[in-house]
Amino acid sequence: MVSNNSQHISQQFENELQDIRSRVLAMGGVVEQQVANAMEALVTGDSEMAREVITFDEQVNEMEISIDEECIQIIALRQPTASDLRLVTGIEKTITDLERIGDESVRIARMAINLSEKDRPKRNYRELQSLGNHVRGMLRDALDAFARFDVEMALRVAKEDREVDAEYEGILRQLMTYMMEDTRQVSRVVDMMWSARSLERIGDHANNICEHIIYLVEGKDVRHLSIEKAEKVVKGEPID
Amino acid sequence: MQAVNEQKNVARGIDIESMQRGPRVNLANETLCLEVKDFNLFYGEKQALHGINMRIPKNRVTAFIGPSGCGKSTLLRCFNRMNDLIDSVKMDGQLLLDKMEINSPSVNVADLRRQVGMVFQKPNPFPKSIYENVAYGLRLQGVNDRVTLDKVVEQSLKGAALWDEVKDRLHDSAMGLSGGQQQRLVIARAIAIEPEVLLLDEPASALDPLSTLKIEELIYELKEKYTIVIVTHNMQQAARVSDYTAFMYMGELIEFGATDELFTNPSKKQTEDYITGRYG
Repeated sequence: MVSNNSQHISQQFENELQDIRSRVLAMGGVVEQQVANAMEALVTGDSEMAREVITFDEQVNEMEISIDEECIQIIALRQPTASDLRLVTGIEKTITDLERIGDESVRIARMAINLSEKDRPKRNYRELQSLGNHVRGMLRDALDAFARFDVEMALRVAKEDREVDAEYEGILRQLMTYMMEDTRQVSRVVDMMWSARSLERIGDHANNICEHIIYLVEGKDVRHLSIEKAEKVVKGEPID
Repeated sequence: MQAVNEQKNVARGIDIESMQRGPRVNLANETLCLEVKDFNLFYGEKQALHGINMRIPKNRVTAFIGPSGCGKSTLLRCFNRMNDLIDSVKMDGQLLLDKMEINSPSVNVADLRRQVGMVFQKPNPFPKSIYENVAYGLRLQGVNDRVTLDKVVEQSLKGAALWDEVKDRLHDSAMGLSGGQQQRLVIARAIAIEPEVLLLDEPASALDPLSTLKIEELIYELKEKYTIVIVTHNMQQAARVSDYTAFMYMGELIEFGATDELFTNPSKKQTEDYITGRYG
């Protein structure tokens, strides 16, 4: 269990592990802000803010590389085992997902710039905003679950992903109707579709982060399992 | 669809079976070699082993790990009755080798030690030639036929991955070999009499990193023919060479399991603390 309260004999090692943990959370905070800003830019048509999101992605990439380097240092010099090993590998995977969430934010920001140059629809992208809020909630909870090593919470977030997928399907259907109704809107609706797609992907990455949390806390691999099976695996019940 | 995929995978030479999740080995599928049942051992008044129960599978490498004084070497030495040499030792419970009671009075200790060979921390070649070191066990058994001896010496040295380094100087003194070579010579001597089990007590702790790797490589090859039990302070070594690991602490067996599992997700907190280097 990662909730191991006893300290390493090597204080230095203890500090290194603490350090990568807090840096993941810092990176998570930055990425969360990137998603929020990209959505804000999309909904309000603020192309200035969208450009900031695109520029700031560089920082997210740098953070990924530097945490990655620190993890590799720890593996090379400390040869971590058991929960320490799972923490380091779990972090390696988590930062990959965080970086990709950053990339999706950039995609949304690009769409925001495109859309800012077009007429604003009456509904003002409310359906995207609702999906965006949903996905941001997932990401925030996933990061909270990481901070507290909370498996229950990780499972709850993973469950949300299904809702997000359903919401995304709904938006797609709606957008297709728009296109059929008014072909002059096709280019705008395609941009909206790409944005919705990016949001749905962010939900998938948040879901992945939850799977990494479950692995690093419990040592149980729940990737590619349905949420029902994942719950059984966590409880130690047989699946199938 | 699944059947089609399976056929394609077979055609591509992809072994899907080996890619399943979970540990590579499972104690339930193993043939048993050594078995320890409710085993206690006392040095005089002091109890050194407490109610040990353990099943060691055949043709696998089993590592004993734990802090100094946890009883791992004591337990290892029981398997070929090395503790008989210490007067104050008392034991109860059962130790079985292929269902045979090791401590039974009817067991011939010399025969037992032929079946259960042992290699120690410090290489202990005899002050004889390389050839005679390996042939020693056979000569004790009364084998003096040159052709047989030549064959066994060559096979054993090859088995211990030493042949290429010494084949041109078989009749030089073994004391002239390096530490790592001496240790492999001792392993060759042990396997020359074709034991069933090899007990290795810290076999690489006095060796440099490269010689250590050679010994580890050798252990990997030897398990084809022998059951190997190894005691080591070097946890990474235990993790690398063994299929199963037993973690002992204060004379008790805390956890026994597949090495893959024990080093990534131990089930006991004491094991976790020990292998991750934490205060208990």
